[in-house]
Amino acid sequence: MRRQFTNAPGDVVSEALEGFAAAWPRHVRLHDDPAYVTRADPARDKVAVVSGGGSGHEPLHVGFVGTGMLDAAVPGAVFASPTAVQIRAASRAVDTGRGVLHVVKNYTGDVLNFRIAGELLADEGVDSEFVLVEDDLATDTGDGEGPGRRGTAAVVAVEKVCGAAAERGADLAELAALGRRVAAQSRTLSVALAAGAHPGQSQPSFELPGDEVEFGVGIHGERARERRAFGPTSELVPQMVSPLVEALGLGRGERVIAIVNGLGATHDLELYGVFREVERVLGRAGIDIARTLVGSYVTSLDMAGCSVTLVRADDEVLELWDAPAATPALTW
Amino acid sequence: MAEQLSPSHVQRWVDGFVDTVVEKSDYLTDLDRRSGDGDFGTNMVTALRRSREAMAGAEATAAGTLFQIMSETFLTHSGGTSGPLFGMWFRDFGKVGADAGGFTLAMLDEATRKGWTTVTRLGSASVGDRTMVDAIAPASDALTAAVGAGSGLEEGLRAAASAAREGAEETSELVGRRGRTSYVGASALGIPDPGAVTIALFYRAAQEAVGA
Repeated sequence: MRRQFTNAPGDVVSEALEGFAAAWPRHVRLHDDPAYVTRADPARDKVAVVSGGGSGHEPLHVGFVGTGMLDAAVPGAVFASPTAVQIRAASRAVDTGRGVLHVVKNYTGDVLNFRIAGELLADEGVDSEFVLVEDDLATDTGDGEGPGRRGTAAVVAVEKVCGAAAERGADLAELAALGRRVAAQSRTLSVALAAGAHPGQSQPSFELPGDEVEFGVGIHGERARERRAFGPTSELVPQMVSPLVEALGLGRGERVIAIVNGLGATHDLELYGVFREVERVLGRAGIDIARTLVGSYVTSLDMAGCSVTLVRADDEVLELWDAPAATPALTW
Repeated sequence: MAEQLSPSHVQRWVDGFVDTVVEKSDYLTDLDRRSGDGDFGTNMVTALRRSREAMAGAEATAAGTLFQIMSETFLTHSGGTSGPLFGMWFRDFGKVGADAGGFTLAMLDEATRKGWTTVTRLGSASVGDRTMVDAIAPASDALTAAVGAGSGLEEGLRAAASAAREGAEETSELVGRRGRTSYVGASALGIPDPGAVTIALFYRAAQEAVGA
């Protein structure tokens, strides 16, 4: 039996957005009809970076609106894409005349609506580019068939790096190339210990026996293709990290950004335990963890579980990662 | 015989289309349920009802005005993937008719071809994939042939409507061949694609609007 703090379940997204905007008045502004979030203090002369997607992944994406990351974020309903008109409105609002970079996670609805928004904007003379984030190794069929790898926690790295580069004056084409490079060098695997429940629902979206984990989940409460035996962190984490190293072809001495991300109902106490194992696995492989992010950033409602993301990093990416950011969810 | 669709013809076309789809929404939803693709009928009806509200307060000065309103409404209110694709489909009719006092057969041919390209580009669907494209493609070919043969408006629309209907009906044979998930493949044989059926209704409404 799950319970959530809500009024009417259908109002959960709009009420959360109102609360979010009220809680972060120095950082963000909420716009209504259609709904989107922009910086409270808009940038004057730079390429605008805009992202969005279904709600239920908080703090993604609205939590990353602010200096050094996003200029606007466009939230859809729970686990549903925003509409093209929402995306167009947000993009128009933040375009300074230098164009708009759309950072899009690979889901059919998100991709379609962002592409449509790009065409609508082009008709109005607003330039936009599209960076697809497709890091989820669990859905890598390797044959180019089907929708391909889903977009998950690597989106935080793409938003951070592109946001910093935009702040430094990169043009739209440079930003798109940079975003695609970071996205191409990122892979993620996620494991769930328990499914989440939609707002207003008392049952989780699936049941999992106590001796198994769902291996390779996405961020929409769905089951994975595979169940594996539950076990101690020291046994589970290598199963997540080794395939990432292999998929990226990481060799000894290479540097990565490592992201250990909670899926919504997993405590930092556990996430740091997971990171400790990530460090051990990568240490044995001679891979240098140049930067780290541990916490719940790209969630799947109240799913219990975590993801591990590795991003191959070079000097440029690390410098942009280190650049200042001041957003509700990420500040340094 | 009208050689172009005036704004009042377009009004009849759009009204007829909206009424028919709303009337058939249970059928379309059932098709969708049985072919395993989600909630097509209810999404369409919501977007069409909102379109009707938006069109009620608008003055249709050009042939394309009502399609522009339908497009904007679909892109504003419909989730999923088929709603936005229909929004972009209507948009090409709105564009072609933007500054015109009426739609000639050649303009309907142009709008259909452009819409076909748009839906194919954005939806990554080709002929034979069991989508709305399977009704659009034969309608487009029929219109192009009619324009080439110098057919009249009524004759051309009758050919387009008939070709779209046949294309939609033939989608019921595409399921097994495409080898989608096996449980859908087995149970959906004989069931046409609701998106293709909706396109067929779109051309039938156009044909009826000129009394053909």
